[in-house]
Amino acid sequence: MVRFLGLGLLLLGLLLFPLAVELPYPQHVMILIFLYAMMGLAWNIIGGYAGQVSLGDATYFGIGAYTTAILLRELNLSPWVGMALGALNAVVVSLVLGYPCFRVRGHYFAIATIALNEIVATIFTNWDFVGGAVGIYVPILPESFVNLQFHRSKAPYYYIALGMLILVILLNLWLSRSRLGYYFRAIRADQDAARALGIDITRYKLIAYALTAAITSLGGSFYAMYVLYIDPTSVFAFSISLLVVLVAVLGGVGTVAGPILGSVILISLSEGTRVLLGGTGRALDVAIYGLLVMAISVLQPQGLVAWFRALRQPKAREVKVGRAPS
Amino acid sequence: MTAELLIQVVVSGLLIGFVFALISVGLTLIFGVMDIVNFAHGEFLMLAMFTAFWLYALFGVDPLFSVLACGPLLFLVGVLTHKLLIKHILNAPMLAQIFCTFGLSVFLKSLAQFLWGPNFRSVTEPLLGGRIELFGVFFGLPQVTAALGAVAATGAVYLLIYRTELGRALQATSEDRQTAALMGIDTEKMFTLAWGIGAGCVGVAGALLAMFYYIYPEVGTIFALTSYVVVALGGFGSVTGALVGGLIIGLVQVVSGFFSPAFKMVVVYLVYLAVILIRPQGLFGRW
Amino acid sequence: MRRVSRREFNLGLAGLIGGLAVGCAQTGTPAPAVGQQPSQPTFPKEIKVGAVYPLTGPAASSGLDGRYGIELAVEIINGKYDLNLPLAREEGLPNLGGAKITVVWADSQGSPEKGQAEAERLITQEKVVALTGAYHSSVTATASQVAERMGVPYVNFESSSPSLTERGFKWFFRTGPHDAIFGKNLFDMLRDLEKAKGIKVRTIGIVNENTLYGTDASKITKQYAQEYGYQVVVDIAYPANTSDVNSEVQRIKAANPDVLFQVSYTSDLILFIRTYKQLDYTPQMILGYGAGFVDPQYTKTLGKDADYAITRAAWSADITQKRPAAKVIAEMFQQRFGQPMTENSARSFTGMLVLADAINRAKSLDPEAIRQALLATNIPGEQTVMPWPGVKFDEKTHQNIYAQGVNLQIIGGQYYTVWPFDLATREIVWPMPKWGQRQ
Repeated sequence: MVRFLGLGLLLLGLLLFPLAVELPYPQHVMILIFLYAMMGLAWNIIGGYAGQVSLGDATYFGIGAYTTAILLRELNLSPWVGMALGALNAVVVSLVLGYPCFRVRGHYFAIATIALNEIVATIFTNWDFVGGAVGIYVPILPESFVNLQFHRSKAPYYYIALGMLILVILLNLWLSRSRLGYYFRAIRADQDAARALGIDITRYKLIAYALTAAITSLGGSFYAMYVLYIDPTSVFAFSISLLVVLVAVLGGVGTVAGPILGSVILISLSEGTRVLLGGTGRALDVAIYGLLVMAISVLQPQGLVAWFRALRQPKAREVKVGRAPS
Repeated sequence: MTAELLIQVVVSGLLIGFVFALISVGLTLIFGVMDIVNFAHGEFLMLAMFTAFWLYALFGVDPLFSVLACGPLLFLVGVLTHKLLIKHILNAPMLAQIFCTFGLSVFLKSLAQFLWGPNFRSVTEPLLGGRIELFGVFFGLPQVTAALGAVAATGAVYLLIYRTELGRALQATSEDRQTAALMGIDTEKMFTLAWGIGAGCVGVAGALLAMFYYIYPEVGTIFALTSYVVVALGGFGSVTGALVGGLIIGLVQVVSGFFSPAFKMVVVYLVYLAVILIRPQGLFGRW
Repeated sequence: MRRVSRREFNLGLAGLIGGLAVGCAQTGTPAPAVGQQPSQPTFPKEIKVGAVYPLTGPAASSGLDGRYGIELAVEIINGKYDLNLPLAREEGLPNLGGAKITVVWADSQGSPEKGQAEAERLITQEKVVALTGAYHSSVTATASQVAERMGVPYVNFESSSPSLTERGFKWFFRTGPHDAIFGKNLFDMLRDLEKAKGIKVRTIGIVNENTLYGTDASKITKQYAQEYGYQVVVDIAYPANTSDVNSEVQRIKAANPDVLFQVSYTSDLILFIRTYKQLDYTPQMILGYGAGFVDPQYTKTLGKDADYAITRAAWSADITQKRPAAKVIAEMFQQRFGQPMTENSARSFTGMLVLADAINRAKSLDPEAIRQALLATNIPGEQTVMPWPGVKFDEKTHQNIYAQGVNLQIIGGQYYTVWPFDLATREIVWPMPKWGQRQ
């Protein structure tokens, strides 16, 4: 009961936030937090549940951004349609790239995803139709929900990002309880054992990867409509691939709360240090950010969720006594 | 394309390939023993290059000699990294280690900017400057020196790993740390050594590279990605693999750069992908 | 098999609450009220101007150059100096009761997304009356979009992508020249040289890095090559920050163009010049599109190997011979920051004066008044430190119609204006000597 009350209060707080805080910058920080929480949760599916460390998610972020921007520019298609087609596009690409790549494991797979991202980025940089290195200025449309453009206030972007995040949370929750999620985790635990149990591991890895790609591309589409300018160096950046992983790792891999918590902390840290110290021009902000990241990883290597769990462990133990081990 | 041009391109590719190899040997060593991809590897290289630069600028020591300082100094940096950071997360998931070395990389990069500013530096007149000409093919003397240094250093590491008692202990630790510990190997010492030697290799590479490359806080990033690909291509943990991988990548990069400069890195990555599809464990990897 | 527990879920919620708290904390610093009530006769003590620059990351060195220029300009505006520059002789802005300019700095880290967010923060939270920056054309593009949307004047000093002033923006102004102007300058020089000195140039080569800057410059070069009747025999776009350029140089060498147009940032340029030397390659001349060529690190790093290349530039140190104020400013700059003034610093120095002058003439901090004042700007060349006939914005595009570049040749580590001929301070050396024949 208390739990639901807390949930309701939080949701109410989040809904009221743009009304209480009208300044765009705090809203922008919240939007970034939602965006990266969402993409962290997306990465969580392939990296957390299925245990395949992908370091190339920016590929799908970029595909989503470009598909949406190009369809809008060339065919005047609503960004919402662009978003859906972008996700479809990302799924197709993820299957094509994933199929061969899932033959390799562990670090070889991680490096392969980086390599693929670099290849895709280079193709876009040299492809005139998509604007090459110059990138694309997204056409400015009248403000409306259908156009997914809002010029006077950030609040609509805020609510859309929040809505997308909630959907992705629900998807993750469902996954963690479903048969599919069970297969994913079996693959993570031991690929060979999973195969022996009759799980078609390539198939399930591909499903996980496609889900990750689709959600990440939604993030990219949103970014394109939010920033209204995209170019290969900003949407195919390795830093994006890395950040979605870091967000999940910081919070706790394979949990639903982890990426959300991770996003809150990492984004506030990097934005906060930049705003407070970035103007000095001596890179102090980034240095402090780096130090904090190291500190967290050494002090709390299992992720913050594990830490919270440990805090409550005495209580948890009591409960366990009365139950059969699960 | 004339024969001369072809030879020139191949020679250039091999020269840069040796440098890639030396940078990657350190990375593969740390990986092999620790099972950790060190994301701060490029920044180690940057630190070594700055050390070589300052020794040159302040005391007039040529990078050729500061190899003797950069190697040990980076050895120390590697040991410290292990003692202060990695040691505490040995049993944590591999991802926590990625997270940690990423933080280290960001920190070192910005520390360099904080201390030395964002400007480009370079060793303007290395002892072995200039170039030599052989049958119409040009060799940059610093590049040749760096390549020879890389061969020597890689050779030394190879002998250390495969021909000494210590090396065998390192190998055993990388095969299976539990069993190695049961056999009486001090694994903690091996881990420290792996970080020390791995970083030391990069120290040597940095000093050699300083002879002909510009130096600034972001310089590590340029080499880091290539060295990950080299290590993966050769097989994680294999010194031979790093050497061969470095040469292949150097050669591929320069040759494809001649025909299609914009796509030269694409060709490099395609070669990597092609290799791992045929051999999922890399050229010389064990698994 | 463990399910996601409710506890974990609650943790996520706790995280979001934390985020809320952080977001709220951001609002905790109310900006001091800048007098926006026209009825009040008292003027504010300080006028805030926002500046977005890459202060960390790969372009930090150029970002700092720009920052120093602005800092010096603010010193001139706020203090009292006997110089023939706008606002130099009075303290602060006389029409606003001697109010002082303060600059609020923001770090874009070279990212269009961060630049945009920072622009928004500066406008809404720091309440800046105008924005400047952001060095990278891509960052300027997104940051100025914010200013356009919010109706705040944005004066850009140095981004050189021509497209920026072709967007029909109401609030965007550019004081510096763009790449199309620079490109034309280089080709005009080639033609003038052919006429005046009987130099023969038929073929050209282009080598450019493949981000926005290089791609734009390469496109422009090709356009002008066709217009002026030169044949492009080699055209290479290489990935920026590459570790090795041997293959590119081999290609250029094999094609052997008469002159080579080089579009590179500092890091790549250093690598290219060293490789030219290593492979013994010299065209008649290397023509550079600024960037790396005008970075002080270029001559410092390469020493005498940096010599003889000709580069387009927005500013040159020897302009001090023609403009007395520039001489004093350049000396002040060197003294204050311990490094020579660069074209980046000169452009941002000048731009800041132009902006302050407009605010002063607007006699108010009302954005529309400042915009109108910017449109009415007409500063003669003598009152700048630039090689321009003056500053006056085109009514439609808001590009400074007098902005132009000069072409400089590097000799003995110094930059000399060699074109336009009437501003030249030294005879051009053409062709550049082969590597073996240099001392």
